[in-house]
Amino acid sequence: MLKNYIKTAWRNLWKGRVFNLLNLVGLAVAIACCTLIFLTVFYEFTYDRFHTKLDNIYQIYTVSNRAEGAEVTSSVPEPLTPALKAEYPAVKYMTRSADAGALIKYGNKELDENLHFVDEDFLKMFTFPLIEGNKNNVLSGLNNVVITQATAKALFGEEPALNKTVLLNINNVQQPFIVSGILEDISRHSSIEFDLLVRFEHYPNYAANINAWENRTHIAMIEFNNGYDPASFTSQLTPFVKKHFAPSIEILKKDGAKPNEKGDIFWLDIAPFSNNHFATNLGGVEGNPVNKTYPVSLIVIGCFILIIACINFINLSVARGFTRSREVGVRKTLGASKGQLLIQFWIETIMVCLASMVVGLLLCMALINQFKAIFKSRISLSMLLDPVTLFGIIILFLLVTAIAGFYPALMMVRYKTVAVLKGNTASTKPGKLRNTLLVVQFSLSTLLIICTIITWQQINYLQNKPLGYNKTEVLSIPVSGGLIGEKALKLMRNELKNHAEVASVTGAYMNMGRGNDGSSRSSILGFNFGDKEIRTHIQRVDYDYLKTLDIKLLEGREFNPDFAGDSTAVIINETMARQLGTKNVLGSFVPMYDSVAKVQVVGIVKDYNFRSLHEDIAPLTLTMDKHYEINYIFVKVKPGNLVASYDAIKKSWNRQYPNTEFEGSWINENTERQYLNERRLSGIFVSGAVIAIVISCIGLLAISIMIVLQRTKEIGIRKVLGSSVGGIVLLLSMDFVKLVLLASVIAFPIAWWLMNNWLQSFAYRITIQWWVFALATLLAILLAFITISFQSVKAALANPVKSLRSE
Amino acid sequence: MLSLKQISKYYSSGGAKTYVLNRVDLDVDQGEFVSIMGPSGSGKSTLLNIIGMLDQPSEGYQYFLNEPVHQLKDKQRSALYKQNIGFVFQAYHLIDELTVYENIETPLLYQDVKSAERKALVADILDRFNIVGKKDLFPEQLSGGQQQLVGIARALISKPKLILADEPTGNLNSKQGEEIMELFKKLNKEDGVTVIQVTHSEKNAQYGSRIINLLDGKIDSSIIL
Repeated sequence: MLKNYIKTAWRNLWKGRVFNLLNLVGLAVAIACCTLIFLTVFYEFTYDRFHTKLDNIYQIYTVSNRAEGAEVTSSVPEPLTPALKAEYPAVKYMTRSADAGALIKYGNKELDENLHFVDEDFLKMFTFPLIEGNKNNVLSGLNNVVITQATAKALFGEEPALNKTVLLNINNVQQPFIVSGILEDISRHSSIEFDLLVRFEHYPNYAANINAWENRTHIAMIEFNNGYDPASFTSQLTPFVKKHFAPSIEILKKDGAKPNEKGDIFWLDIAPFSNNHFATNLGGVEGNPVNKTYPVSLIVIGCFILIIACINFINLSVARGFTRSREVGVRKTLGASKGQLLIQFWIETIMVCLASMVVGLLLCMALINQFKAIFKSRISLSMLLDPVTLFGIIILFLLVTAIAGFYPALMMVRYKTVAVLKGNTASTKPGKLRNTLLVVQFSLSTLLIICTIITWQQINYLQNKPLGYNKTEVLSIPVSGGLIGEKALKLMRNELKNHAEVASVTGAYMNMGRGNDGSSRSSILGFNFGDKEIRTHIQRVDYDYLKTLDIKLLEGREFNPDFAGDSTAVIINETMARQLGTKNVLGSFVPMYDSVAKVQVVGIVKDYNFRSLHEDIAPLTLTMDKHYEINYIFVKVKPGNLVASYDAIKKSWNRQYPNTEFEGSWINENTERQYLNERRLSGIFVSGAVIAIVISCIGLLAISIMIVLQRTKEIGIRKVLGSSVGGIVLLLSMDFVKLVLLASVIAFPIAWWLMNNWLQSFAYRITIQWWVFALATLLAILLAFITISFQSVKAALANPVKSLRSE
Repeated sequence: MLSLKQISKYYSSGGAKTYVLNRVDLDVDQGEFVSIMGPSGSGKSTLLNIIGMLDQPSEGYQYFLNEPVHQLKDKQRSALYKQNIGFVFQAYHLIDELTVYENIETPLLYQDVKSAERKALVADILDRFNIVGKKDLFPEQLSGGQQQLVGIARALISKPKLILADEPTGNLNSKQGEEIMELFKKLNKEDGVTVIQVTHSEKNAQYGSRIINLLDGKIDSSIIL
């Protein structure tokens, strides 16, 4: 019986091969996309899962209920960890964590590695298996260092590494350390990434901050006792906060902070480490968290594509069912039961689904590398063999075949035997269901088109908005690899003085945008001024900063080596001047540092967007204060040949620092890098929209084939009665155009709401314009019309005598 | 063998009932060869479909092999006709995707006949109808007469007690038609299969043992030959 079913199914599929091929292609494309998408999502959601005690680990963070809103930061003061451990027995383990770059030296080998400062508990909490060493005491010695296998190999080769003495250069101080443990290499699936582990006591300024509850310098993670419910931990911390953070709370109060509904101004809270990979709102976590919007929008788009493909499948199968009605009738007279017929048609569905699956996975293999490149995804096809994904795929497959196969099969089985044998099915009205499904399909497609246009507009706007400084001709060079910024700047300045194409050179603490080094810094300083607290971003600059970046000076002057007092002078931006509020800001003295003398404002610059356009321009103070390092060197070149200038500057850098990589990049590259997430989203939308449209149009094409078949007689009669070709094409297309129009109208409010929400995350944003909706609709209608036209024109041109005779 | 009492079939459109069959009484005995005749729209096909249980009457009582068909459930009804009735259609209604062999085999599949037995039965009937050489061809590769032959073979494979034929020769030329009618006659005489056919042709009607004339949904005359 089964053999018979498969045989007939195969012959039937072959007979309707054009139709089934359309069906198969649509489904295969959808399966390929969904596989890639869901693998990516799976990858993102399974970050850090290898830690066996993941569910018991939390990160602690602080919330300040400031006047302008709650400020969340995960930076905590040094004494917090020992105090919490001592005072709360529920805290089983706790570790502080901070990272830095460090040079590790053994013999004459030197490596620039990523160093983590942690407490002893770190390896007891997190699952980083040791190959050599004992996890209970590897970090017991103050000068122990734990290294990864890769580092061990790079440094020691085949030599045993354990108990060797290495030299570590941390923050320009070289110290000997003993290798006390070797870890397995860290999974790429880990938020916590490092090459070396040393005790937190080596963290710069550790001794100075050991009792400083006001200086928040690092993050900290807690592991609770097994079985402890951490839900109430936050409220238990209230007395702890009162005891240790009183001065901070006082300052906040003065600053206008209001108590929340529970009466707190400042409190400690915990966030599960399992959510670490998505914790973009904690103000600093391990690794590079991603905004949950992206995996979620991926899921949504994956589901959209799957829904559209299923709808296609249903519509196509139902449409094709019409041609099979006679067979159903005959089989019924031969004694087939409904169940038997149902199984027969279902087997056909499963065969198409299986074929689609195979083609889809092949497609997936072909596309995976491009996909990884575009979406910065680190998935691999071997993930498909993971039991969880495998199970998911089987479930999804069964679901699709059930939904997409069962309904059409049921439809066919329900045909009235007698009517069918007389050949009467074709006259049935196009189903409401089919129309509904088409509307859903095109709603989703239009929605994605609108999203695509709006994200594209916004990105375009971000790129072209003048930021208030020169971003095209200025090169930003990160000073990394243990170099001292000030020295490097001096060297480069001397070196580049003789280059004709270099206009000016300066240095700064913060980068513009995000450079090749990938890091971002910001420093905010608060001080009391008159009766209020002023908060300002601090940018340490060097001479010629304004000149190099073409920042407009409104009043006063730039820092100048001729003025001796400039090391204690500041230049502020307009917003800062407004915040200070006094008349004659220029020349006035401001008590920026509580301890030292007041600093004089020597210049006011026009506001410029020193942060990404997600945020408004904040108060900014430029200073030459030596406490802040120079981390970036900015070089402005003369317009003309930028490529040649870049090469020349790179060459001079390499002459100065043959061992340190040149990571310079143009500032406009850096600012664009700030919008990588947006680009990624827009990429997702574009691909989603294209695929949705393609699959929808495949479905529409097949349905139009069906419709034309069904209405051949009508078309013939109309032609005999004198209808023009255009009239017939319009007649056949109008029904669909109406549906697409309706679909667009449904998509409008959803798209507007979604995109409006998204735009809210930008301080600088476009307004959504009506023509975007019109354009998207027009596009959808046009595509639908073209698709249908393939068939309708052919039908309209056909000889009516033929179609009428065939009746 | 079967008995129809006061069978009516009508369609209501806008309150008015349009009768296709109007209080028809009909009894057919085992071994009869009945020809139903009448002009277009007189209800011949509907009557045949009701007899074959493919269609249900709006009113009336129907018995088949002493079973009250009007009281049976869908499933029981289809079990009843599946075992006892073979259908032959004017348009043959062979399944295009199946070979001659498979077409004939299909009813057996639906009756859960074992594979070996199926093979024997199909081989037997192919032999009897002289179409062994055509068993691997598809319907479209056969002439109309051959297709109808396969249609009849398929109707006979499950050894039905009754064959219902709706204008079986309607699509055939006269020579092919004659052959088919001869076959029916032979089946009726030699195998004792009851045959009810709908036909337009006076000549074909003569093959039977009784002619029933329908007019406007009523039996106009019943002539025993």
